[in-house]
Amino acid sequence: MTPEERRQLWQHMRTPVISLGLLMALLAINVILGATLPFHGVWMLEAAVVLCMVLVVLFLSMDVSHEAPLIRVFSMLGFFWVLILFTMTLTDYLAR
Amino acid sequence: MAEAVLVGIERAEHFESIDQQREAASLGMWAWLLTELLLFSGLFLIALILRIQHPAAVTLATTHLKFWIGAANTAVLICSSFTMSGAIGLSRLGWQRGMVGCMLATATLGTLFLGLKGFEYYQDYAEHMMRFLGQPYALAADQATRLFIDVYFITTALHGLHLITGVSILLVLTVMAGRPNFLAQHQNRIEIYGLYWHFIDLIWIIVFPVLYVLNR
Repeated sequence: MTPEERRQLWQHMRTPVISLGLLMALLAINVILGATLPFHGVWMLEAAVVLCMVLVVLFLSMDVSHEAPLIRVFSMLGFFWVLILFTMTLTDYLAR
Repeated sequence: MAEAVLVGIERAEHFESIDQQREAASLGMWAWLLTELLLFSGLFLIALILRIQHPAAVTLATTHLKFWIGAANTAVLICSSFTMSGAIGLSRLGWQRGMVGCMLATATLGTLFLGLKGFEYYQDYAEHMMRFLGQPYALAADQATRLFIDVYFITTALHGLHLITGVSILLVLTVMAGRPNFLAQHQNRIEIYGLYWHFIDLIWIIVFPVLYVLNR
C-alpha cells in the first residue's frame, strides 16, 4: 500500500474508527454501572449513556448530518415522534 | 496492493439525475427504518411501563437474563457496524476486494451474535424460563414476572429475525458485489444496505439496557 493509498484509507476510515472507540467506551461505562450498581438512581446515568450511544450511531455511523436536507428533517421527525410517544405515555404512568 | 475499480451508479430511466436517484433510495430506506423504529418503540415502552408498575417482579426477572452474554453481543454488533462502515468506505474508494472482505466479516459477526443468542435461549430453556413452550415456569411464584419475560422473548426474537434477514441479504449482496462492474453501476446499494445494518445495531444498543441493564 502506497503512502497515498494509506492516506486515502485513513480519510475514509477515520469516522468509523472514532465511532467504534466511542461506542465501546460508552458500552463499557454502562456494563460497569449495570454490574456494580454504584448508587441509587443509577438508571438515569445509564439512560444518558444510551442516549449518547444512539446519537453516535445516528450522526457518525449512519452519517445523518451529511444527508440531503429532506432526509435529515425526515429522520429527525421520526425520532421526535418516538420522543412524543415516550413522553406522553410515561407522563401518564409516572403521574398516577 | 489495492486495485481500485470505477465507482458509480447506473441511472434508472425514471430518475432525472444520479443525485435524485441516490436521495430517493436513501429516503425510501429511512422511511422503512422509521416504521421499524416505531414497532420496536412500542416494545421498549411496554418494558419501561412494566418496570414502573412491577419493579420488584422485573428485578427478579432480570436476574435470570444473561447480562454478560447481552453485553458481549452488544460489543459484537458494534464491531459489525465498524466492518460495515469499512465496506462502505472501501466501496467509495473502489477497493472491491477489501469491500467484499469487510462485508463477509460483517456477516460473520452477525452470525456470531445469533450463535450467542441461541446459546442464551438454550440456557433460558434449561432454567425453565420458556413458559410458552409448555414447560413449568421457574418464577411461577411471582406471576408479574411473566409479563416482562414475554416482552424479553418477543423483543429479542423480533430483533433476531431482523438480523437473520440482514445476514441473508448481506450474503446475497456480497456475492453480487464480488462481480466485475458492480461498483461502477451499483455502489449506492452498499451505502443503502449499510443504513439497515447500522439500524439493527442501533436497536440492540437500546434493547440491551432496557431489558438487561436498567436497575438490575
